[in-house]
Amino acid sequence: MPKTTTSMRRQLILMVSMVLICINVLALWGAHIYANRATKVSYDRLLYGAALQMAENINILDSKVFIDLPVSAFETLALSNSDRAFYAIMSNQYQVLTGYNDLPSIPFTQLLLQSTEKEKFIPIYYEAPYHEENVRFVALGKRLLEADKVNDVFIIVGQTLGARQAAAAEINRMALHFVSLFFVITLLLLLFVIWRVLRPLQAIKQAITERSPLELSPLETNVPSEIAPLLKSINYFMAQLDTTLERLKRFTAEAAHQIRTPLAGLNSQAQNAIDETDEALRQKQLQHILESSNVLSNTVNQLLNRATLTHRYQSHPFSPVSLDQLTKDTCRELVVWALERSVEIEYVGDIQATVDGDEFALKQMLQNIIENAIKYSPNKGLVEVELMSTNELKNVAVVLQIRDQGVGVPDEDKEHIFEYFYRSPDNQASGSGIGLSIAKEVAEHHDARFHLKDNEPTGLIVEVIFPRRVLSKNRYPKVKGARL
Amino acid sequence: MTRLMAILACFFVWFFLTLSSLAFAEQDGTEKESTGNEKRVLTIHGAANRNVIEPLFKAFETQHPDVTIHYTESNTRDLYEHFLSEPETRPDIIMSPAMDLQFKLANDGFALAYQSPELKQLPSDSHWRNELFGFTYEPIVTAINIDILAADDLPLSREQLLNLIRKKNHLLDEKIGLFDIKKSGIGYLAWTYDGQQSRSYGRLLEAFGNHQAQLYTDTSSMLQALLKGQIFVAYNLIGAYSYQWSEQYSWIKTIMPTDYTSVIMRTAFIYRDAKQPRLAKRFIDLLLSPLGQQILANQSGLTPISPKAVGPYSRDALSKLPHGIFRPIPLGLELLIQTDDAKKQLIYNEWGNAMRPLSERLSSP
Repeated sequence: MPKTTTSMRRQLILMVSMVLICINVLALWGAHIYANRATKVSYDRLLYGAALQMAENINILDSKVFIDLPVSAFETLALSNSDRAFYAIMSNQYQVLTGYNDLPSIPFTQLLLQSTEKEKFIPIYYEAPYHEENVRFVALGKRLLEADKVNDVFIIVGQTLGARQAAAAEINRMALHFVSLFFVITLLLLLFVIWRVLRPLQAIKQAITERSPLELSPLETNVPSEIAPLLKSINYFMAQLDTTLERLKRFTAEAAHQIRTPLAGLNSQAQNAIDETDEALRQKQLQHILESSNVLSNTVNQLLNRATLTHRYQSHPFSPVSLDQLTKDTCRELVVWALERSVEIEYVGDIQATVDGDEFALKQMLQNIIENAIKYSPNKGLVEVELMSTNELKNVAVVLQIRDQGVGVPDEDKEHIFEYFYRSPDNQASGSGIGLSIAKEVAEHHDARFHLKDNEPTGLIVEVIFPRRVLSKNRYPKVKGARL
Repeated sequence: MTRLMAILACFFVWFFLTLSSLAFAEQDGTEKESTGNEKRVLTIHGAANRNVIEPLFKAFETQHPDVTIHYTESNTRDLYEHFLSEPETRPDIIMSPAMDLQFKLANDGFALAYQSPELKQLPSDSHWRNELFGFTYEPIVTAINIDILAADDLPLSREQLLNLIRKKNHLLDEKIGLFDIKKSGIGYLAWTYDGQQSRSYGRLLEAFGNHQAQLYTDTSSMLQALLKGQIFVAYNLIGAYSYQWSEQYSWIKTIMPTDYTSVIMRTAFIYRDAKQPRLAKRFIDLLLSPLGQQILANQSGLTPISPKAVGPYSRDALSKLPHGIFRPIPLGLELLIQTDDAKKQLIYNEWGNAMRPLSERLSSP
């Protein structure tokens, strides 16, 4: 069972929440900075406005500074209705003309500098504690001109920070409310979207869970295009599984039949032999029993071989195999067995070919094909084994041909010859009928094409065409064991 | 999944809790309070006549049997100057109708902030920063001895008053009574507020000067003079006293000028370093509570600030009498202008020039 690494849904929600939180914290931070700056600027302007109104009503009359502060200046300050305000009008001799006479940290040097160097006065803002509260001050100069006399006065207006803090807090609170609302809504929307997106997966799971384990027809769930490949794979896999199961079922039935029939024959032959009184006849019957048991054991061997191969398909990765060497070795091994049947094996070809594959399986394939050819060869027949390379279909390929001079296979049988336990009706040779089907399976497992052709004048050519260098290194077969 | 949601939820709850705790972090500081069996004393300095404010003290002493109130009465300007010059004898509470002077003290940080629960039911412009509490709503009126009128109509507006003065001319020489703005805080406040409100101010000043108006430091002495016939017209009086006199003496008529009617608030604040801050707060609570407001309306003859109070001198009753647009003097930073020295000097100069005896003015160039 594969382990669940982590939930996709949880990951999505976590990431989405993180991103949202980051964005929202950034937004809040931005709003905070903006709120502070905006309130600072606007309340500084009010302060400056009040100072300007005061300045406007300071004049010089008969060499005396004449101050008539307007109510509007104080009304401007009163807009921040919960703040204290302080002010002072001072001469350039540090003398308080009116207002508070103990205002702190007045930037006199700067003001005097402005009055000596520049023609224009620029407001100077500063904060200082006064009467146990932080106060924001603005200091402004005004030049009074009378005849040829120049006289500068300084206006200092200050206000506590309550209103601007309250305004900033208000903006912050608004931002917080907005951002929270935004957060909740987007989170809900995203949760909904995640649910929507992941729903097809749930649907597939549901569809599979609800089926009986034997039902392997394709799933008909509607899914978005991104999930479609997955569904297609599942359906393909199920189709494969279906075929495999079907084949296995047929194979099992056939195998049972193939084993049961010779066993029944053996049984009756042995019974006959026991009952036989004629010694010569009994010898003959025993001979038959031996032959039958040889066939049976051959069949069982083939079946076991096939089982082994099936197992190897699933567990053995491919490795480079020298095909020419393997073919030669196999021919060499079979040459004696062939000669016993008065058949010659001839290896033709001088190329060196390496393919990626399973050496054991390939050897099984070669053995089965060559044995088959020998079996169906006439007396003093010749089995030719040839390895060549072609440029067929623009692909360089390795072609293996095993030619015999037997009776061949009629075209109508060529389709059936790969079915398990199929044997040509007019076939006299002993055999299991499983060899060629195994060979074909091995060939297909190696992505090779497997053909049957007619030999001239008679006989059969078995042709296996390997694509040169099947490239993937650790390729596993397409059909694996059922994993449901 | 659920755990994740729980974490998010926790995060949010934490967020809002932090926020709200920041918002409501304001709390009463610890209070020093003398404990013991001896009678506690709450000292109050005020400008109101003792008999006017006494019922309120009685009510407070009934609520707190172990408390005695020491009340010192003085004129508004004296009250202010005394407060500044004698730091040792500062009271727990100072009450005065001179809003500008009270405001200056609060602005300069002499007031203790107190979020009275009673403030909720009062108009929002009746207090400032939880430091200065307005508790009355008193129109500034003109009182006239109708003997002067003969066949003429009662002058309801300032314009009509000017016409009357012009018409009676020398009959009113030395027969007009005014607050001495240099000595009475409330007089200065009402006079400068007139200056801000109306163009008739200049002509009034001229008329008062030309008829050598008599100057008084408090309402009572002015009303006494009116009663005795020393003056026939008293300008810018506090309504409450004037209405009481009108009730008693039918020939004294009280007029709320119909062009505009200035309104002042009596204000109170707790001294920052009060010896009995807790008692002082209780007193402010009583003063602003419906009970206190009703006592003012019923027993003091002062118009309470609360629009809900009922009685012959309630805001409701006042608004049914003939009056001009009520122009309450705003309790806010606007009052700082009234305390500005340069401004005061200008007003004094203008006033002084107008009020100089005729002989002096004739001899000057």
